[in-house]
Amino acid sequence: MIAGAWICLLSPLAAAVLITLGGTRTSRHTAAYLSTLSCFVAFAGAIASFVGLLGEEPSQRHHLSTAWIWIQGGSYRSGLSVLVDPLSVMMMLIVSGVGALIIAYSIGYMDGDDEERRYFAYMSLFVFSMLLLVQGGNLILLLAGWGMVGLSSYLLIGFWHHRPAAIAAAKKAFVMNAIGDATMALAFFLVIQKTGTLSFSALGQLHGGWVVNLVALGLLGGAVAKSAQLPLQTWLPDAMEGPTPVSALIHAATMVTAGVYLIVRTHAAFELAPTVQDVAAGIGGATLLLAGLVALVQTDIKRVIAYSTMSQIGYMFVGVGVGAYGSGMFHLMTHAFFKALLFMSAGIVIHALAAEQDIRKMGGLRRLMPRTFWAFLIGALALAGIFPFAGFFSKDPIIAAAVAKGGGLGYVLAAAGLIGAFLTGLYIFRLLILVFLGEPSPFVREHFHALERNLVGVSMSVTVAVLAVLSVVGGWIQWTPYYDPVDKWLAPVAPPLVTPTHWQEWVFTALSLALALVGIGTAWLVYGAHRIAVPKLPFVQRTLEHKFWFDELYDVAFARPVAALAVWLRDRFEQPLVSGVGKVGDDTREVGGLFARLQTGLLRTYALAIASSVAILAIVFVAVR
Amino acid sequence: MLGPDLAWYLAVAAFLFCTGALGVLLRRNPLIVLLSLEIMLNGANLALIGYSRHLANGDGQIFALAVMAIAASEVVVGLGLVVALNRRQAPLDVDRLDTLRG
Repeated sequence: MIAGAWICLLSPLAAAVLITLGGTRTSRHTAAYLSTLSCFVAFAGAIASFVGLLGEEPSQRHHLSTAWIWIQGGSYRSGLSVLVDPLSVMMMLIVSGVGALIIAYSIGYMDGDDEERRYFAYMSLFVFSMLLLVQGGNLILLLAGWGMVGLSSYLLIGFWHHRPAAIAAAKKAFVMNAIGDATMALAFFLVIQKTGTLSFSALGQLHGGWVVNLVALGLLGGAVAKSAQLPLQTWLPDAMEGPTPVSALIHAATMVTAGVYLIVRTHAAFELAPTVQDVAAGIGGATLLLAGLVALVQTDIKRVIAYSTMSQIGYMFVGVGVGAYGSGMFHLMTHAFFKALLFMSAGIVIHALAAEQDIRKMGGLRRLMPRTFWAFLIGALALAGIFPFAGFFSKDPIIAAAVAKGGGLGYVLAAAGLIGAFLTGLYIFRLLILVFLGEPSPFVREHFHALERNLVGVSMSVTVAVLAVLSVVGGWIQWTPYYDPVDKWLAPVAPPLVTPTHWQEWVFTALSLALALVGIGTAWLVYGAHRIAVPKLPFVQRTLEHKFWFDELYDVAFARPVAALAVWLRDRFEQPLVSGVGKVGDDTREVGGLFARLQTGLLRTYALAIASSVAILAIVFVAVR
Repeated sequence: MLGPDLAWYLAVAAFLFCTGALGVLLRRNPLIVLLSLEIMLNGANLALIGYSRHLANGDGQIFALAVMAIAASEVVVGLGLVVALNRRQAPLDVDRLDTLRG
């Protein structure tokens, strides 16, 4: 069990190192297979840990395995240790399982790219970083994994480094994440100062209102940055500049789910600071609405899905924010399945249309690629939460939990969740209808080429098929009114704070399902049947297209003042200083030039100088005596 | 004491030294310059030996021997330079060898 966890952690790292050291000696396909294999080995290790835990009493499911003491100073010490408990094993299974499928998919998607080896090394590193994040046995290892996830995402978003947009997006993601890393690090400093240790249990020992509130706020800052929630959400849509499997990996298996994991892992701190936990839930509710609205007007196939991720992570934040940890984590799992499926189907579409991502140029792809259509449809139904697809079982308990929490906030969150359900159905079916239904557009007729039945086609279609199956059956493992193995599994780590009653579950399941169907129906009426025209609201439309002006706001509030300050410092300080230094050099050179004239190069003048000097010395010598 | 007075030796030595110095200062052919240097050195040697004899002390003669040895090595270097200049078809004129002008 412990060995399984270590294998799970180290095998992707080994692949990354091997591919890097192998360099051009390994062929491109070797790198791809090595990377895929390492992730499947990691998945096997995760399963071994899972099976090991299953055989134990729920209260015994907590194993900390320390390889060696990593950092030691004074009374403080942190080991390089992995934690095997229900929460980490669940994350290990999701990260390595979905990650392995995505990497297998990229064998086909990245085939023929110039720098495949680098790509697969980064992908393995990404999976390793995420596994380190979820398996780390103390807060400092969690932070190490946290930072490495940021680094890997930077490397992969900017993978096509010849595109300026990709580089800019990578930098944006990195900077936004660095803000969260900083707040987390500050929170950890406080924890060390107050308790002298960074073990997870230290969080429960925090006393004093403001300390625990600050710690929880710092952790929330990290979670918000990594999970692209308000107000640090702007990097996620831009991250679509990376290759599509990278988007799938960031959105489904790694990275954005880290924030949800963090809140569940450190729930002790949040429960001691209920206000901050409410803030987390509120942020989730606001993000799910905002992202759902923005997704309505996006024209890039990947960006629509990216906003849907933000929205769904918002649901998870609502879930963990009201204390329904099991529901939040369960939604994280099903979301990993259907979001990876949506991205990978979109990747097939993009691949088939010569890298075109603009949905206005698409249409009528259903007849040309029926299997991809079905896969995308399954993903869309799962996302919209339609029975019996995965999202249905995981999204509605979150809304019910918000109601069960009660109070003004609970009802507002539940309302946001319900509106979000309507928006989800609307935007994802708008996307589906525009891309797949109707007549093939001229662009499609000109550029379409189907997947071939070779390595590329097989690696892409088989993985999508597996995820399609998971998106259907993945939700069946828990249906809270009847059976709740996921909640029970996670209860030893994070016992839920709220349990919805049966009628709450039923009423809000019915409401959310109905609203999702209304959303789908609206999408059909507007975009499919053209019965209703898109309402003409120029201001609203422009607001949504500019994503509520967050980018512009940050530009004015942060980027421009800093740039202006830099220019001012350059003109006032740097340039005078540098030219002053340059003046000293010029003067020295001038004086040197004067002395250089003494060096005539003529032998006889030197001889004369010596002779006359000696003569003068002799005369002086005689005269003085 | 046999022979002329010390003053005579010193006069001849000074004459030799000045002849050499003028040669070094006025002539432009490096060979002649080297030759003039030797004359200067021999003037100095003569003064040393003259004093040595006058004071009945061997030190001056030993100095003179050392000067001869050094003069021989200096000529080796100097003549080597002249030969090298000649090989490179450089002008044998010290006024035109002014690459080190500042």
